[in-house]
Amino acid sequence: MSDPAPPIADGADHRLDPLVIALERTVAWIVTAVLAAISLPAVFIIWLANGLPWLALIALVLAWALVVAVLGWHAHYWPPIAYRYASYRVDELGIEIRRGVYWRSAINVPRSRVQHTDVSQGPLERQHGLATLVVYTAGTDHSKVDLGGLDHAVALRIREHLLPPGKSDAV
Amino acid sequence: MLSEHRLHPASMLFLFGRSLKLFALPGLLFLVAGRSSVGPPIPFGRWVPGDSQPGGEWQVWMMVLLIPAAFVAVARYLSFRVRYEGTELVIRSGIIFRNERHVPYHRIQNLEAVQNVFHRALGVVEVRVETGAGKEPEATISVLPAAAFTEMRRRVFEGRTRVGEQADPAAAFDGPAPRAAEARTLVHLPLRELLLLGFLENRGLILIGAAYGLLWEIGLLNGLYNRFFDEQSYAPGGVRLTLRTIRDGGSLPLGQIAIVLAGIAGLLVVVRLVSMAWATVRLHDFRLTRTGEDLRTEFGLLTRVAATIPLRRIQTLTIREGPLQRLVTRVSVRIETAGGGKLEPGARMNEREWLAPIIHPSAVPSLVREVLPEFDLAAVSWQPVHPRAFRRAVKPALFGTLAVMLPLAGLFNWWALVVLPVAIAWAILVARQRVRHLGWAATDDVVAFRSGWLWRSVTVARVVKIQAVTRLESPFDRRSAMARVRVDTAGASERSHRVDIPYLARDTADGLCSRLAVQAASTEFRW
Repeated sequence: MSDPAPPIADGADHRLDPLVIALERTVAWIVTAVLAAISLPAVFIIWLANGLPWLALIALVLAWALVVAVLGWHAHYWPPIAYRYASYRVDELGIEIRRGVYWRSAINVPRSRVQHTDVSQGPLERQHGLATLVVYTAGTDHSKVDLGGLDHAVALRIREHLLPPGKSDAV
Repeated sequence: MLSEHRLHPASMLFLFGRSLKLFALPGLLFLVAGRSSVGPPIPFGRWVPGDSQPGGEWQVWMMVLLIPAAFVAVARYLSFRVRYEGTELVIRSGIIFRNERHVPYHRIQNLEAVQNVFHRALGVVEVRVETGAGKEPEATISVLPAAAFTEMRRRVFEGRTRVGEQADPAAAFDGPAPRAAEARTLVHLPLRELLLLGFLENRGLILIGAAYGLLWEIGLLNGLYNRFFDEQSYAPGGVRLTLRTIRDGGSLPLGQIAIVLAGIAGLLVVVRLVSMAWATVRLHDFRLTRTGEDLRTEFGLLTRVAATIPLRRIQTLTIREGPLQRLVTRVSVRIETAGGGKLEPGARMNEREWLAPIIHPSAVPSLVREVLPEFDLAAVSWQPVHPRAFRRAVKPALFGTLAVMLPLAGLFNWWALVVLPVAIAWAILVARQRVRHLGWAATDDVVAFRSGWLWRSVTVARVVKIQAVTRLESPFDRRSAMARVRVDTAGASERSHRVDIPYLARDTADGLCSRLAVQAASTEFRW
């Protein structure tokens, strides 16, 4: 995918960079850890405040552990599934972004409607050499369409391609 | 060419007046709060001599606060300049912090003039210049002499075509446009139609509610009640009392019920009457004219609004009709532009984008042809949605009905289940009629969508204005090989009817999507 030679607007469906799975997992794990860390004291407070017996504490902690386990399972197994259903296609006319496992969407933004674009990188993304491409249009629902999990260089090339040629008077 | 224009001297007055208004609201609240917190009603202007009541000083403080406002008003008048250059409008303002804003003529979405009663007495207008950018007008010029506004309109729209011709020849809008500057009236609403409109839209309740709240707050209503009803006959909880009497098998207080029913009926009549009066005042002498390539709407009795919308700024056009409207064979037609429509969801924004708030359906095709020459409403062949769409639509309807009715039945009494078949039949009827009225059409220049059974809407979006095309598939869609196609345009608001076609066969949806995407991509979007 990161071959330097072929043009970016090849009209073929591309998957995101596989590194995005690792990135999404890290993000999901961080969220899970934060939620777990916040909710454990809450469990104790509920137990103390209501003056419940010891058995109730065990049950509460078990319930907490179950929720955290489900979140952790989700954090680990969901990113590869989402990855399988996310793709993009760039051609001469514009860009199409597909995603969604259960509720699927395919957003098609013509090149002539692109107002401007961003390529942004968060700290985790930077670590993985990934970037998020954000396409702005004049629309209402899709005034901002983002595509995360691209190789940084690829994102820059797509941006190059999408930007209106020359100093067109698109606005 | 480069001469600069000042504001009308009266603008000082209006600016100062605006500051006054800013103070007036808190002041009024203060008065009201002061009154109702003290026991017996006190006539205005006389305050209970208490140590914590600010009394007279408070008004003095107001005056001090107004002095800077007066200075600002004078400074703004002195520093504000409008200049017409070859291709742009230049607005200068500010003494300490100077600001010079350049607005190219061809970016102007809308030039709007507002005249309230005071403006008209002085023969001035407040002008709002809107471009596609941002959520509020690019510039508000308050206030210009009325003649200067005419001049501005002429200059801006002449300058715009000059720019358009040299920048891109593709901008030439098709249709006979030899820049004939004579205005043709497309829609004019006589008094009868306005009254009908007020009757149909029934806005009176809001007004009455507001007035009632205000009167209640000020405390005028108490006396009224005491005069009309003696203490017992109208008290809070009257409905509850009546119900209890019925349950206990006592004799019905028929007199009271009659009074209440008469009151409700009277209120309904009054609401409609107020609504009619309000529509007449608001939209008095509504007139839609076409001058060359611009649409111009003018309306209002007290506050007169004149908006100019270039034809090629129109993003979508929507025709609506409700059950009452259908009864008297009327529909409403409105358009959406990209300029600043999201600022306030209030009434004024909506009205400006009306082509005709009320119009006979037979006049609609010619009106639409005038605005969207590439689209012939009368000759549209509407495509139905998927044949199995009803089966899809009826399931959630039935499920929802059961989810509401069963707990209700359990809560009250099982004989309430008698209502259930009726509710189910209604749900099925609604689903069937809705699916039957869904339809879409796509030509080379527009995509159209209609929906609704009792409240019907038809929306036409121009391909040139399509921003993005989305195909959506829910799990249910996938099970029956269907998809939904949604078209995104600029300037749509929360409540607007969008092109959003459900229950399409997957192949049809694919085809429509890629077709629209290609069509949109091969045209240049120009706001």
